[in-house]
Amino acid sequence: MRTRLKNGLTPASLRAHLLVMLLAATSLVWLAAAWWSYHDARHEAEELLDAQLAQSARLLMAQTRHELEEEGAEHLTALDFMDDRELHPYEQRLQFRILDSEGRHLLSSANPPPTLTSQTSGYANVVADGQGWRVLQVEDPGLQLRAEVAQSLAIRDELAQKVAVRLALPVLLALPLLGGLIYLVVGRALRPVNELADKVKARTAANLAPVEARGLPRELQPLALALNRLLSRLNRTLESERRFTADAAHELRTPLAAIQMQAEVAEASADGDDRRHALQQVLAGTRRATRLVEQLLRLARLDPLAGLSDTHPVELEVLAAQVVDELRHGAGASRLHLDPGHDTGVIVDGDADLLGVALHNLVSNALRHAPEGSEITVGIEGGNGGPRLWVADNGPGVPEDELAYLTERFYRGRSTTTEGTGLGLAIVQRIAELHGATLLLENRPEGGLRATLTWRA
Amino acid sequence: MRLLLVEDDALLGDGLRAGLALDGYSVDWVRDGEAARLALFAEGYDACVLDLGLPRRDGLAVLKELRARDNHTPVLILTARDTLEDKVAGLDAGADDYLLKPVELAELRARLRALLRRAAGAASPLLQHRTLSLDPASKQVTLSGRVVPLSGREYALLHDLLSHKNRIRSRQELETGLYAWGEEVESNTVEVYIHRLRRKLGADMIRTVRGLGYVLGDAS
Repeated sequence: MRTRLKNGLTPASLRAHLLVMLLAATSLVWLAAAWWSYHDARHEAEELLDAQLAQSARLLMAQTRHELEEEGAEHLTALDFMDDRELHPYEQRLQFRILDSEGRHLLSSANPPPTLTSQTSGYANVVADGQGWRVLQVEDPGLQLRAEVAQSLAIRDELAQKVAVRLALPVLLALPLLGGLIYLVVGRALRPVNELADKVKARTAANLAPVEARGLPRELQPLALALNRLLSRLNRTLESERRFTADAAHELRTPLAAIQMQAEVAEASADGDDRRHALQQVLAGTRRATRLVEQLLRLARLDPLAGLSDTHPVELEVLAAQVVDELRHGAGASRLHLDPGHDTGVIVDGDADLLGVALHNLVSNALRHAPEGSEITVGIEGGNGGPRLWVADNGPGVPEDELAYLTERFYRGRSTTTEGTGLGLAIVQRIAELHGATLLLENRPEGGLRATLTWRA
Repeated sequence: MRLLLVEDDALLGDGLRAGLALDGYSVDWVRDGEAARLALFAEGYDACVLDLGLPRRDGLAVLKELRARDNHTPVLILTARDTLEDKVAGLDAGADDYLLKPVELAELRARLRALLRRAAGAASPLLQHRTLSLDPASKQVTLSGRVVPLSGREYALLHDLLSHKNRIRSRQELETGLYAWGEEVESNTVEVYIHRLRRKLGADMIRTVRGLGYVLGDAS
């Protein structure tokens, strides 16, 4: 189940990571413990061997004293209690030398200890012929005798090495076993992660149900909860996309159905007037479908934008004058007015074309919905509240509970049967968002609807 | 034959009205659910073509209320709602047929003919009485196998009488089948067309029931 990343690197495995880290930590702790044990053992062994050396020296002195007192100095040379046979591998082959007060050799072993340069009592480490020795000198002031007992240091090193190997071997054998166990345990502990991954993998656009978070380990709960929040956001987005697509299909189908119907009527009509009327309706339907497609495309282009890339200062009065001028040539022109207000030179930063589309939509909306004979005014305000561009009519207004829905796509109002794509205000809303402006739709106290675009001051 | 057309879209509604008028129906056109409701309860229609997505009141709600009030007017739903659930809900609410937009005019006309035929209790596409035969699909009338040429209004009147065979049709009922709302009604129209039909089909084909109206066949 290992996945390769695009750059060819294998993503870090939690299991491998834990395995390496735990083994490293275990080894480190064990090494420290082993080091301490080794030194402790070596120290104890040295104490023991030193004590043995002291015991040997004492025995030797006692024996020598006995010999001297019972037999005389001459007998000492004949003394031979040296037996070279080993009774135990660690048995010390005692190396000694006994001297009298003048430094003359009275007695020594077959291989006597190295000659000491200084004559002090106590332990000393001596190197002779490339070998290390532990030497103990003991004096007997009563007999004027001095004994030197020596032991090879190699024995101590060998002993220490054996202790070290004894300590290391079981752990070295246990490490692979420990690794295997860690691998299995970590794998088991990570199983909920794999299960969660399987659950997430089962999610598709059609199934965005939340992942069951109960039963997951505490560490995975935040992940599952975050995932569920993401899924629900995704679901909402997809739902609104789906609704928009369905609505768009429906909205496109209606004018096409009308065009087809009118064309069939035109074909079947015997009467010239009926035929002419039907053909005119075909043209009207085509124009309507074209406008709808244009507005859908405009929204589709505006939707993905995060912001405007190319903005320029736009003087609102100039913009308003252009739009009013354009629309004045259409029907009901005489009821359209421009109120430039008291603030001159109100400028906003933006895209003049898009702002023109927004204002055009607002004015067309008013022309379409306000009844014959009502007045439509385009106004501009500057001042403390920030730049404002508004379109007001003195028609019947919109029921209060419908105001919030007016900017929804394809919403046309419950009681209206006038022709519109239902996208005009949605486009205005989107253009306002892109300009960091807000669109407010409200019924005027004196009657009629007022749409206001407000920029931050 | 009088139809109620309920369609909020101006362009499509206009086309449907013109298209249905080609079959000689008198078509009343309303553009919202509330108006449809009022029209259906106030007047008698032979059939209703009903859109579902309507302003003021949903088409399905209108249909349910109609059936709840025991009104049996044949209803053909013509809508863009194309999901299976919508179709099932529409038919279960009491619709007699369910058509999706965009619809071919020819199919809509054929389905309406079928609807009206079944409403009249007939399975055969031909409306017949003795040797008289009327084919709603071709709008051809024959008498003893011989084609009788009829004008639009003459045909509509004969169609009405044949569809309500053996029942007395009042002068006013026949009149509403000839004219839609807004069309100017000439006085004595029904009498004029009855007279012309008798001349073409024989004097005894349509009987006058004094004070009540006209009947084709035996009045029950």
